[in-house]
Amino acid sequence: MAAGRAGRWFLLPGLMFLFAIDLIPLAYSGWVSFYNWWLIRPRDIRFVGLANYARFADDPEFTRAVVVTTVFTVGAVLVEFLAGLALALLFAQPFKFLRPIRVLLLLPLFVVPVVGATMWRVIFHPELGVLNYYLGVVGLSPVPWLSDPRMALVSITIVDAWRTIPFMFLVMYAGLEVLPAELFEAAAVDGASAWQSFRHITVPLLTYIMLLAILIRGMDAFREFDIIFVLTGGGPGTATQTMQMLNYRAFGLGHMGEANAIGIVTLIIVAGLCFILMRAVLRRPRVASP
Amino acid sequence: MRPSRLRATLTGVALAPILAWTLFPIYWITTASFKTELALYAKPPQWLFSPMLDNYTRVLTNIPFFQYLRNSLIVAIGTTLGSLVLGTLAGYGFARFHFRGSEAVRFLVLVTRMAPRMVLVVPYYLVMQRLGLLDTYTGLLVAYVSFALPFSIWLLIGFFIDVPLDVEEAGMIDGCSRLGVLWRIVIPIAAPGLVVAAIFAFLVSWNEFLFALILSGVEAKTLPVVIAGLNTDAGPLYGEMSAAAVMVMLPNIVMTLALQRYLVRGLSLGAVKG
Repeated sequence: MAAGRAGRWFLLPGLMFLFAIDLIPLAYSGWVSFYNWWLIRPRDIRFVGLANYARFADDPEFTRAVVVTTVFTVGAVLVEFLAGLALALLFAQPFKFLRPIRVLLLLPLFVVPVVGATMWRVIFHPELGVLNYYLGVVGLSPVPWLSDPRMALVSITIVDAWRTIPFMFLVMYAGLEVLPAELFEAAAVDGASAWQSFRHITVPLLTYIMLLAILIRGMDAFREFDIIFVLTGGGPGTATQTMQMLNYRAFGLGHMGEANAIGIVTLIIVAGLCFILMRAVLRRPRVASP
Repeated sequence: MRPSRLRATLTGVALAPILAWTLFPIYWITTASFKTELALYAKPPQWLFSPMLDNYTRVLTNIPFFQYLRNSLIVAIGTTLGSLVLGTLAGYGFARFHFRGSEAVRFLVLVTRMAPRMVLVVPYYLVMQRLGLLDTYTGLLVAYVSFALPFSIWLLIGFFIDVPLDVEEAGMIDGCSRLGVLWRIVIPIAAPGLVVAAIFAFLVSWNEFLFALILSGVEAKTLPVVIAGLNTDAGPLYGEMSAAAVMVMLPNIVMTLALQRYLVRGLSLGAVKG
């Protein structure tokens, strides 16, 4: 394959653009995070070192945001992973109308996130919502979907699952499609049950794809903003205030130093996840290309 | 024959609730947008009703919807063009030229996508404020190209690799430059990939909320911000909100349905081929 210097003229514009647009703000963010910097007082910006970070250590709101973010990320990704895997296995066997049904199932992935959250907000409405009405019909008491501190995070997870199960499904479905069929045929000839071939062929060969899907989704869930903003805005109280929402609030108050410090902490956590992802991907066994 | 029939039945039984769960919200907001206020708040919820366009006329006259639509379109088309040009060049570069560490650089491209938007938007706001680009198309456009570009690059690598090398070499022998080969030979063959990349870039911009919320005030306000603004628990706005939401969602649904063949291939490609 061609080597040499011509390649750089193709790569440079895009790469330079990307790194400039991402790295310059990030470096700037790190710098601002060392300052006491209020948007409304541009003449009174003072260097405070790590004070913005030190405050997190004994700030219950920050701790709470970390817990909420973790609970939401782990819960949402777990639900979405299991549902996506089940769907992918269901679609691995051909059936009638597979193609049109598959497309319909993908739709939520393409709906504008704000619009998707809006739909659910209408459905969740405590008095006017269709969900509580039918719960009443079958004799259950109405659920305060978004106004109860515990329930609110569950409701957000439901909406997040609605939106992104299609992604999990699609990635694992694509992974299943490229598994060599001969292996399954051989296993069937040897008398393996469906569970056995799932356990001993599908799972080991699909591990890489599953890991990829979980990590990508994990990072996405970690930085979820649109849905939470529309559904609860972080409330009630601080019940659904993730690190992103806390960051948004600090920004809204004009406290740039703190907002950027929260951002840098978030970035470090995501970078950690990313590092794990890259190691997993670069060291993967090459099963995808037979 | 029997077991397969049994399986078909079971599949159907499993699929029905999944389809209902997936499609109901879309169905519900679409019908809500055609309901009168009375029908919207009726108990029991009305499944059959005579559709009205009142909500649409109201949302189109009460707020400058067309101006927001124009904002959204300008930014989305700009994002599409920008990320196609940069993505084609870089995708071709990665597909055809290998250098030490090129795989690592390729991953680094993907990594830039991983930075939480909230982390980027705060310093981005400060930079744009300094440059006087707050509430402008340019401010949003530059950000959105950077969001769409990593995926475009990865997607296009997959399509460009599939273009047979000997076709390209034949073009070079006939006197085409590298860029000429890319333009005259590679791009026509990989056109489906470019279509998918274009649609994704468009949707990235069309759907984006956080940057639009923070960077655009009045002039460059895009539709997702408008929708979120209409979203209050004050009941009377539900009709208008639904109508606006349906109009904003329409291009997404049309694009998804029209290009389903490519979308499935395009989306799964990046994950599987690596």
